Amino acid sequence: MSTPRRDALLAVDGVHFDYGRRSVLRGAALRVERGELVALLGTNGSGKTTLLRLIAGTLTPDAGEVRFHGRAVVEWRRAALARHVAVLPQRLELPSGFHVAELVEMGRAPHATRLFGASAADEVAVERALIDADALELAHRSIDELSGGERQRVLVAMALAQEPELLLLDEPTLHLDVAHQLALLTTIGRLRRVRNLTVVAVLHDLGMAAAFAPRVAVLDQGRVVGEGSPATVLTPALVRRVFGVEIDEARTADGQRHLVLRPG
Amino acid sequence: MLLGLLLAACQPAPPSSISPTATDRVSASATRSAAASAYPLSLTDDVGRTVSLASEPRRIVSLAPSNTEIVCALDACDELVGVTDFDAYPAQVTDIPKVVVQAVPDVEKIVAAMPDLVLAAGNHQTPQGVLDQFDQLKIPYLILYPDSLEGIYADIELVGRALGATEQATSLGAEMRTDAQAIEDRVANAARPSVFYEVSVYQGVIYGAGRDSFLASMIELAGGKPVVGDATGVIQLEDLVAADPDLILLGDAAYDPSVTAMSVAARSGWGQMTAVTQQAVKPMPDDLIITRPGPRIIGGLKALAKAIHPESFGG
Amino acid sequence: MRTAAAPAIRVGIGGPSLTRAALVLGVGALLLAIVLVAAVALGSVGVSLDDTARILGRRLLGLPLAQTWSPSAETIIFDLRLPRVLTAMLVGAGLGSAGTVFQAVLRNPMADPYLIGTAAGASLGAITGILAPMLLPTLAIGAGTAWLGIGLVQVLAFSGGLLTVMLVYSVARRGGTVHVVTLLLTGYAVSSILAAGVAMLMFLSGRALGAVFAWLMGSLAGASWTSLAFATPLVLLSFVLLMARWRRLNLLLLGDGAAAHLGVDVEREKLVLTGLATLATSAVVAISGTIGFVGLVVPHVLRLAIGPDHRLLLPSSVLFGASLLALADLGARLAGGIPVGIVTALIGAPFFLWLLRRARTPLMP
Repeated sequence: MSTPRRDALLAVDGVHFDYGRRSVLRGAALRVERGELVALLGTNGSGKTTLLRLIAGTLTPDAGEVRFHGRAVVEWRRAALARHVAVLPQRLELPSGFHVAELVEMGRAPHATRLFGASAADEVAVERALIDADALELAHRSIDELSGGERQRVLVAMALAQEPELLLLDEPTLHLDVAHQLALLTTIGRLRRVRNLTVVAVLHDLGMAAAFAPRVAVLDQGRVVGEGSPATVLTPALVRRVFGVEIDEARTADGQRHLVLRPG
Repeated sequence: MLLGLLLAACQPAPPSSISPTATDRVSASATRSAAASAYPLSLTDDVGRTVSLASEPRRIVSLAPSNTEIVCALDACDELVGVTDFDAYPAQVTDIPKVVVQAVPDVEKIVAAMPDLVLAAGNHQTPQGVLDQFDQLKIPYLILYPDSLEGIYADIELVGRALGATEQATSLGAEMRTDAQAIEDRVANAARPSVFYEVSVYQGVIYGAGRDSFLASMIELAGGKPVVGDATGVIQLEDLVAADPDLILLGDAAYDPSVTAMSVAARSGWGQMTAVTQQAVKPMPDDLIITRPGPRIIGGLKALAKAIHPESFGG
Repeated sequence: MRTAAAPAIRVGIGGPSLTRAALVLGVGALLLAIVLVAAVALGSVGVSLDDTARILGRRLLGLPLAQTWSPSAETIIFDLRLPRVLTAMLVGAGLGSAGTVFQAVLRNPMADPYLIGTAAGASLGAITGILAPMLLPTLAIGAGTAWLGIGLVQVLAFSGGLLTVMLVYSVARRGGTVHVVTLLLTGYAVSSILAAGVAMLMFLSGRALGAVFAWLMGSLAGASWTSLAFATPLVLLSFVLLMARWRRLNLLLLGDGAAAHLGVDVEREKLVLTGLATLATSAVVAISGTIGFVGLVVPHVLRLAIGPDHRLLLPSSVLFGASLLALADLGARLAGGIPVGIVTALIGAPFFLWLLRRARTPLMP
């Protein structure tokens, strides 16, 4: 744990990873400070989801290192890591038969102190999570009856119940319609402020990323090829090179910058 | 040691005195009460177990028809308190409670019969689980599993000693030996045809006499050369055809009227065997006493000898 | 800032409410008690209910009751029926809890405790034990005598089940990971190989075929206090350790990834859970043979009835599994001593079909 120099909350250093003969990450590097919201961008197969899994510790790098709190993620005990890092997956096959509150309570598993019941701290955390995820009115519903948007809110509540410092989002908007995408990203942005969360999100929508993430990192062929504010990173030249599409920048009346995809 | 002396003393009993007549019954029970002084008694059964009997058994359960016949041949039919649903000989046993139904021993019924001796059957006929329960319940049992005529005599003597009827047992054994010897003598000088004894044919699997089996030894004694299968009695049709028996005896014909010399000739692959072409295929209505290792076995041996050597029996 | 002691709104977590848990487990326990009395009182030999109760009161509770019954009635009730009914209950309990765990670990509604090789391994072991005295005559005397109260058949069945699952697990393991589909297919393949061995031994078994067949169909006819004493500690140990892992069982229902994110060391946990469930399965299979459908149907039906939370599901599977198998065995005894596996298949399979037709949603855990 004791590192001589001050490390970022999350540090990715020269990470290599391949699935069999297919090399996915080739020396990716990234630093995320406490309280930041960083969007990982890249084409399909650029390695962004793999990088997220390496950060979550469910994959182990072939070379290089991912450090959380200055200590290699692979050295963390799973239960200890889960008290600090939560993951909101693309989609979760929710087991039939549970109620929302029961599912959200599962987020308390890494903190469990009682053999069977829930502690007062668990009760408070679950309730706060439901409120913060705007899912309190769903608490007693069966998860089998929820709509897509409601399920996503419940998953957010479950992740929040873990009371993480670092929240990892793996394309959380992939299966949502536009209104729910906006709602979810707005919620995440708000939570970052009220809970002082650090967020690393894999996003596929450049426009959404530019609008919501103060900082983006673009992955291409296993490396981070651009990192910084959306305005400095997502230039038409980089977007053309990495994503193979043309974009225009537009500014609204209030001076906000937006990216507009040019139809080929 | 003492028992050995006792047995030796009983040995020269003349065979003529053992025919089971009404007057003998009286002397039988007299002998038995005299023998009661020998208890507690230690016996060794057919699988080598040592069994102790504290006193003379008065309530006997038999788990095999052959065991039932042995008990009754020793004049102890009245002491049977449990038999199998297959028991029909002698006729009086049909009134005794059935503690084995469809070959499954009902341990509750056996216990309810309060036996002081159970006569079980060997070679898995009485399941090991049931024997284990007897052990746990401290119910004394003897496993009877004769593999030859000598084995049957020995079993009769074993049961005789257990029941305190050594004299009857010894004389019955002696009589059976004499009768068996008489049959063997009759066929001794005749040519020995090869004999296949069909136990069953089911879905193409042919069961006959097993290698080194009791049935094979019976055919041998009856003046035949047994055509045998493997240890379980299974014989491949090719091996049977190659052995080409001179005589085929149909034990299964006793129970299944569709098994006849004609149906055997019609089976594919069987038609060219010597026994079939020479019309030496015979049903064996006496299969029951040929295969049941009890006191009637000499009758079975005689039936076999007659089937193999009709000429020696004035046929 | 809210205080921990007084949340503004009661969300209602901490698992099933005490009243609900008490209700479900209370009904289960009551049913078990009724089945116990009925199954001990009924059998092929009539013993009055009054005598049954008095015998049990005297032998189990030490009540100073005058002996008004015959000694054989006491033997039948106390040494034959009671251990048999308790064995049925133990086997049902073990299969119920093991089935619950396998369905969670494999995330498969068709999973039963036998799926990944327990049955095939135990069968091969048991049949070897049954036939060993025939194949090696020197064993003939030893086979009848029990070793530490359990026979060769039980020892070989128990170790056969455990060893086969260990083999399946290690073959299915690739790079420290065991995929469910690989595990199931490996279990199927290894079971097929062992089943060929079983078929070969059956073919060679001759007159022992009846004993082999009875074992394969599952039978409680050989139940005794000693076999009960062998299996009970193993099943209890397995249950207690599984119960302590209820939270991880719940988390595994979310899938490997989500469970890992919630702090579960997934591969290790699956190995431990599979091992514990296999321990109970092998122990009960050793004393009863392979009794089908209990381990499949009981967890399934209960999951539909009371929900998937293992805190309640696991103990309920134990209670209701115990009742179900004791009832099935009573039926088997009253039907003339047929193997109980025939009864569970005859009742369990049509019931399961009815359930499949009736369920609105696919029966996934």
